Amino acid sequence: MNPETNQPVSTAADSTPPPAGRATVPVWLIVLMFLMLYWGALYFDANGGWFSPQVYTPYHSVGELEAFIPRHEGPDIGRGKYLFDNICALCHGPDGAGKPGQAPPLVGSEWVNTPGVNRIIRIPVLGLNGLIDVKGQQYSFPSGMTAVAATRQMMSDEDLANVLTYVRQAWGNKAPPVTAAQVKAIRDQLANRSQPLTVDELKSLPEK
Amino acid sequence: MKYGPLVFLAAFFALAASWCGFVLAPQIQIGRQQQETNMYNPSDLYPLPRPGLARQGLAVYRANGCAACHSQQVGQTGTVADVILTDAGTNPVAVADALVKANVGVSNANPAGLSGGLPKPIVRGVEIEVANATVSALLSAGAKAGVELVPLGPDIARGWGKRRTVAEDYLADDTVMPGSLRVGPDLANVGVRRPDLRWHLRHLYAPTVEVRDSAMPPYRFLFEKKKIELQPSPDALQLPKEFAPPPGYEIVPKPAARALAAYLASLRTDTPLFEAPTAAPPPPPGVATTNAPAGPAPGATNSAAMK
Repeated sequence: MNPETNQPVSTAADSTPPPAGRATVPVWLIVLMFLMLYWGALYFDANGGWFSPQVYTPYHSVGELEAFIPRHEGPDIGRGKYLFDNICALCHGPDGAGKPGQAPPLVGSEWVNTPGVNRIIRIPVLGLNGLIDVKGQQYSFPSGMTAVAATRQMMSDEDLANVLTYVRQAWGNKAPPVTAAQVKAIRDQLANRSQPLTVDELKSLPEK
Repeated sequence: MKYGPLVFLAAFFALAASWCGFVLAPQIQIGRQQQETNMYNPSDLYPLPRPGLARQGLAVYRANGCAACHSQQVGQTGTVADVILTDAGTNPVAVADALVKANVGVSNANPAGLSGGLPKPIVRGVEIEVANATVSALLSAGAKAGVELVPLGPDIARGWGKRRTVAEDYLADDTVMPGSLRVGPDLANVGVRRPDLRWHLRHLYAPTVEVRDSAMPPYRFLFEKKKIELQPSPDALQLPKEFAPPPGYEIVPKPAARALAAYLASLRTDTPLFEAPTAAPPPPPGVATTNAPAGPAPGATNSAAMK
């Protein structure tokens, strides 16, 4: 290595470092940073979906997605089928054929295919004890039919209307739908009762 | 090393931060996803596990590096809605009036023309809120109408899917093959476009038979050339002259090719989900009539009789 190149080329006056002055961050820069942070927070709030696993790119929030759920005028039969298959089908069967001697069939049953809904709503709300005649056969479940919709926590008015409408219109049954308002009216009447129904009691009620 | 612990800590925190971002956060966000229900039909669970042969086909797909040239993810840029009129009701003048008042760009609805050719879209490409409001207006005018969702985007315009793909779509597979490069078309919905297993087998043996300008290499090692013994095998490939084996021979798929074709035919991500809404698939013929509510809202008269 050439020693000459290692010699300091600058003079002594140049080699003193510049004095360390006090430089403050400009106020406008701090304000700008806070403004950008604020804008970023607003942008995240509007577009980020708050890390929800259900929000993907073209959508911005769960609320936006809820607008796409199909509206139903009257009872939702698809939801009724879902509830029926998960609750009622254990005894009455997914095809509504019932179990001989225990759970009466719902297909073509004279208790299901009624013009009025006064009786059919009471059965899942209170349960049913004792023998019942359906299509000329006698049925009796040992402990009676459970009150599967005794409270609104177990099944809302809308969902009970969905299930009953499904039962009344599936498998070739042709009866008018049950509305949530009808369910609510009957549930309000039965609010203080917890005893199961009997068939004689059911028969004494008007059909409409 | 003077700063050993400091270097260790710095490296540890750098790696821990990226692990939290790339592994822990997604695990918390989508790690517990389960089967979900169809948006329109709550009794349909999605996704269902693939049939056994298709699961083996996933291993063949992976082993042959198909994911190097084919993606399985569909993008989407937005969603609009169409309003479908299904019944013009008894008072078409009121329906036309409601349509004009709904302020959806229909300025001159012809009452006489409304009832022809139903069901038909009467408003296209509007926001979902506008479509829902229009439907309510039409219902109160005595007509029947529904909303049909139309997802938008270049992938959907190419016919590669009905909606974007979401994490739920990959739940049934234990090796997910989303891919990243698109030398060939996206395969997320190839089972919808090409349900025919024989098409897939011919395409694997000689891609140019089915797609003239295909850049895909042939996968002939998945097939074997056999001498025809007594009569041709039922699953021998039907090939054009230039690809056909010499007379007396036939091309039959090996089990791996059969599995791969079954896997490809099982690929479909068109179920409408809550997080990826799209139009309901058309009902299979003969099913729609049994569960439909009978008559125009008989519940209204019933509740009146109750009170």
